[in-house]
Amino acid sequence: MIRFESQRVSLWYMRLALVLFCLQVTMGLWLSINYAFTLPQELVDVFAFSTARSIHTNVLVAWMLLGFMGGTYFILPLECDRDLYSTKIAWAQLIIFAGAAVTAVVGFLFRWTRGKPLLEIPFPLNILIVVAALLFITNVALTIMKSKERTALQWMLLGGVVSLALLYLFGIPFYQNLNTDYFYWWWVIHLWVEGSWEVVTAAIVAFIIMEVTGVDRKVVEKWLYVETALFLFTGIVGTGHHYYWIGAPDYWLWWGGVFSALEPLPIVLMVVDTWMHVRERKNPIINRLTWTYIIGLAIYHLVGAGLWGFMHTLPPINYYTHGSQITVSHGHLAFFGAYALLNLTIFYFAFPRAKNIRRYRDTAGQWGFWIMSISMFLLGLVFGIAGILQTYLERFLDIGYSTAHITMMFWFRIALIIGIIFLCGVLTTVWHLFTLKPLEEGTAE
Amino acid sequence: MTGKGARLIFWIGTLSSAAIFLWMTYDFHRQTPKYTKVDQLTSEVVAGKKVWHKYNCNDCHTILGFGGYYAPDMTKSFYRLGENNLVTIIRNPEVVYAKSFRKMPHLGVSEGEARQLVAFLKWTGTIDNRHWPPQDEKFVKAYQEREKRVHKLDIVDIAVGACGGCHSFENRGRNVAGDFNDIAKRITYDKGTLVRYILNPQSVRPGIAMPPQNVDRETAEEIADFILALKVHKEVRR
Repeated sequence: MIRFESQRVSLWYMRLALVLFCLQVTMGLWLSINYAFTLPQELVDVFAFSTARSIHTNVLVAWMLLGFMGGTYFILPLECDRDLYSTKIAWAQLIIFAGAAVTAVVGFLFRWTRGKPLLEIPFPLNILIVVAALLFITNVALTIMKSKERTALQWMLLGGVVSLALLYLFGIPFYQNLNTDYFYWWWVIHLWVEGSWEVVTAAIVAFIIMEVTGVDRKVVEKWLYVETALFLFTGIVGTGHHYYWIGAPDYWLWWGGVFSALEPLPIVLMVVDTWMHVRERKNPIINRLTWTYIIGLAIYHLVGAGLWGFMHTLPPINYYTHGSQITVSHGHLAFFGAYALLNLTIFYFAFPRAKNIRRYRDTAGQWGFWIMSISMFLLGLVFGIAGILQTYLERFLDIGYSTAHITMMFWFRIALIIGIIFLCGVLTTVWHLFTLKPLEEGTAE
Repeated sequence: MTGKGARLIFWIGTLSSAAIFLWMTYDFHRQTPKYTKVDQLTSEVVAGKKVWHKYNCNDCHTILGFGGYYAPDMTKSFYRLGENNLVTIIRNPEVVYAKSFRKMPHLGVSEGEARQLVAFLKWTGTIDNRHWPPQDEKFVKAYQEREKRVHKLDIVDIAVGACGGCHSFENRGRNVAGDFNDIAKRITYDKGTLVRYILNPQSVRPGIAMPPQNVDRETAEEIADFILALKVHKEVRR
């Protein structure tokens, strides 16, 4: 069912992304062990929490970017009705990107790092990433230029990936002043997550919904414009909720507070939009799992990124919760809800088509989805409880940091158990995706 | 709504938000010297920031509330711990945290690097960030109080300033290693031993977790007098 031969390159992006996803979750388990138990000094000296955390977070960024790139390469030929401009460029880009990622992970083990959370990759590797990004943009742009028809979706996708690459540049220089350093750090982290990534998400979700439901393009594109407008309108100034306590002018409290309070709005719109399209679908349900993922994505996105984020970005609350495990709770739910589920939705859209499977056996996939979704939600709650405990003990009762953390050890043991269950869900899903089997026609679904 | 209307909303929304944001970025840069004491941003401080990055401190510790969430926030750590405690912890974490449930890796930071790092943390502590983190405010206030009365420092200020990173006295300092009142009750040292103990704890009690204190002999003697005075005071009162 692959219509263009060049779409196949995207599958290797997705396969690599899935492998990195497993590595990310394994590292996460190791991090929770650090919290839950006292490790011997010799082990801490060799493989410190910081090393494991840099792998956990960088691999997260890497697999999600690979997922976005793969998704774009799978969707773009369909949307442009022609092959990619160059499959060779796509391959070169994958090899450069993967090479940089693997070198980075190995480098972290030997403390080769820039020491900037989430942006630890040393300067030479950054250059490679930039080269890969430029190849990607060139390929996407030229594919769009050569297509017969121009659509809103193409522009949205191109705009998203261009801003993604541009914003990355702000994380590369060394800033002498710590507050300026963090000011621009958020240009990458926040404006990515709540800007460029959301634009790419909105475009990809719109495309998948259009393909799966058969709803009219005009209707989908109109929603896409309004959603993206709201994402950017609230998300850009919403960056301010990271500027409360870094030594920035006071008005950021207001602007950041108001705009980040509005941030759930576009996500609500996205849920409503998805729901309407699913209800007014013209195509019959073929694979139930794809639907589960689309609706799961919309709702989880709203809860994790929207509600959880809304709750602790109001300045009077944030004053106490900032820099606590509450942020960890929000981070996990938001990244899983918005982007992990998005990538998996793309994978479930692409893999069966690439393997020429119309209907697939989806029992393992269903188990994977529900195990992951429920255990991640519980994990968010456990981190939330730990965070509330921490906030109360540390910020209200004025108890020292370490003493407050002793009470959290219990909750991190629970987090470890839930994490193991989550890993089982991930492995089930990855195994299911790698070994999709067609469902014999005539068998009940 | 027409497709045209939707496009209009898109452009107006995005551009207005971007315009507000860019103007605020401009204003942020304009006001940064005021909020962050740029005049005190010396090459020593910048070198310290590079040390901070070199050892990837930020992936365990948070600073300004961002980072690893695994170890304490360092924004106001200079006020909380003071220079000597910071240097001791950075250079000998395996000694300081020998009995703690939480371990810090021994990173092999040199003495010079540790001093640069302290300069960076001292400067970071001066960032005017609306009194965040809240729990460190009391250390900032105590420090400023001591600064203001630098010529009239009493012995309590000296003792809490030097030892308050671990010991407490009448609700001041951090109670990690015991309150001076309790310690005074417990110990049997004479002044000479206590001074030796403060300067090099291992020479008096091998295996003890307390790090060697980087105070001069004179200060150590004053602190020893202070602690021993608590003992006498207690006994007389009883």
